[in-house]
Amino acid sequence: MNQSKKLGVQYLTASIVMMGALLLFGLLASIFYLKYGFLLGKLDFNIVKQVHINALIIACLWGFMGAIYWFLPDELGIETVGIGLARLLFWVFVAAVAVVVVVFIFVQYGSSDESGMWLVNQGRKYVEAPRWAAVGIVAVFLTLAYNIFASVAKARKVTGIMGVLMTTMIPLIAVYLIAFPAPTNMSVDLYWWWWLVHMWVEATWELMIGCILALALMKLLGTSRKVVEIWLYLEVALVLGTGILGLGHHYFWIGTPQYWLSIGGIFSALEPLPLLGMVVHAIYDAGKHQMKTHNKPAFLWLIAEAFGNFIGAGIWGFMMTLPQINLYSHGTQWTVSHGHFAFYGAYITGIIAVAYMVAQESRGIREVQGNAWKWAFAGLNIGMVGMVGALLVSGMSEAFIGRALGGSTLDGFMASQSNSWFMQGMIARTGFGVIIVASYFILAWDLLTLGRRSEKLSPALATT
Amino acid sequence: MNATWLLPTAILLGIYVLCAGCYGLVYALGRLRESRKVTRTAYGFYAMQGLTTLLLVALTPLAWGWKLFLVACFLVYAAIPPITWRQLERTHALEHES
Repeated sequence: MNQSKKLGVQYLTASIVMMGALLLFGLLASIFYLKYGFLLGKLDFNIVKQVHINALIIACLWGFMGAIYWFLPDELGIETVGIGLARLLFWVFVAAVAVVVVVFIFVQYGSSDESGMWLVNQGRKYVEAPRWAAVGIVAVFLTLAYNIFASVAKARKVTGIMGVLMTTMIPLIAVYLIAFPAPTNMSVDLYWWWWLVHMWVEATWELMIGCILALALMKLLGTSRKVVEIWLYLEVALVLGTGILGLGHHYFWIGTPQYWLSIGGIFSALEPLPLLGMVVHAIYDAGKHQMKTHNKPAFLWLIAEAFGNFIGAGIWGFMMTLPQINLYSHGTQWTVSHGHFAFYGAYITGIIAVAYMVAQESRGIREVQGNAWKWAFAGLNIGMVGMVGALLVSGMSEAFIGRALGGSTLDGFMASQSNSWFMQGMIARTGFGVIIVASYFILAWDLLTLGRRSEKLSPALATT
Repeated sequence: MNATWLLPTAILLGIYVLCAGCYGLVYALGRLRESRKVTRTAYGFYAMQGLTTLLLVALTPLAWGWKLFLVACFLVYAAIPPITWRQLERTHALEHES
């Protein structure tokens, strides 16, 4: 195995481990809603939530990077250029994340000046990492971009997939720079902050996972490059066509002009259209290949990606994206429900699919067998559907009682929080959270032990 | 929007996209199995989306601009599964030729 593929395995392993932290802190965060005063003054809800959502970002980024470093040598036919620096930065990145988590948990708050932002916390959701760590993240991305661009230049081969991936790297890095300035006007701050969050999650990340899944489909199902690239270009057009101005649905209530209500509503309502095409495509692929593959878990996780994306981002998003509804649903558990389902459907499922492919190839397994992956697949999907369903019930109760009836007053908020519908949803959420965490451990165990329980390739096949 | 219609409108919007998803899913299954019965079921889901659109237009307090937008999207949804399927067959035919 070459150095780039080894680095891919390391990043994907780190991503799966980080998913564990993501889930454990998510489960811990859910307990705050059931037991008032839980860990009060020791590890407050905001700190637990902060670790939970930052773990999500890092797990996704490590998953994408792992997949890119894994597929790059196959795509270009050469070892990745500058891989030594990338391998060094992997350990720096892992160490930096560990330090940031320790600071988040044990230091928690910094002073309200520049030193607090440089050393402890920048204070904005999803990009709380202190500035020194944010500088490190930029360095890692620049190295990844260098690895990709220099390898393409050396191989003298610009495939369609690599073209999209290289184009994606530019906005990926550029919008992250928004994490650095700290405007004092909250509307201005949120205006640009949403550029970073939305353009990552609903534009550049979509293209990255699109490229990764295109490479995965070629390997897993033997789909031709021509077909994969045509659909990738189509996805680029549709995702960017609806996704970029879909940014407007985050601008509804932050002090921006009223025209954003129409722009945001219309373009985000168009977002399910390309996702419906993905559902049809998934059925086509599953049917034409008659579910015959040597890596069924990877294949099923890819199918789950198409459906999860449609349901989580499409159905759940459309319920609350029109401004008239969003006025009440914004910032309730309803939003939380949509966010969990969309992230899981669009990204986590895709990363797990690639992790199974990498485990199979790196260990020379002819066919992925066993029952553990089935339990993990069923448990994670049932747990996720149950959890977002429970959150939806709680969120609708909050929007109806606290906002629509209570007029968004403190009394309305308190009434919504103590309402039995809200509480039952929260209890069910924690219950389904336990199922998800248990299923995650089965998944991690399965990925870790995969080669030991499956038939190995003959040495001749393993080296091809 | 008023309190009474907040949740019914949101749920109808969710059902609107759910029906579109079922239409696409069942349509693809019908084409895959070359079964007219299944394809007809798909059109049944599309009809349900139409009924949901009608309810959204007739009953909910959404502004008229949004109601027209929902009707326009409903019409666009009709074309997505057949066009996607046709394109999939065309591109995969190219794959076999090459």
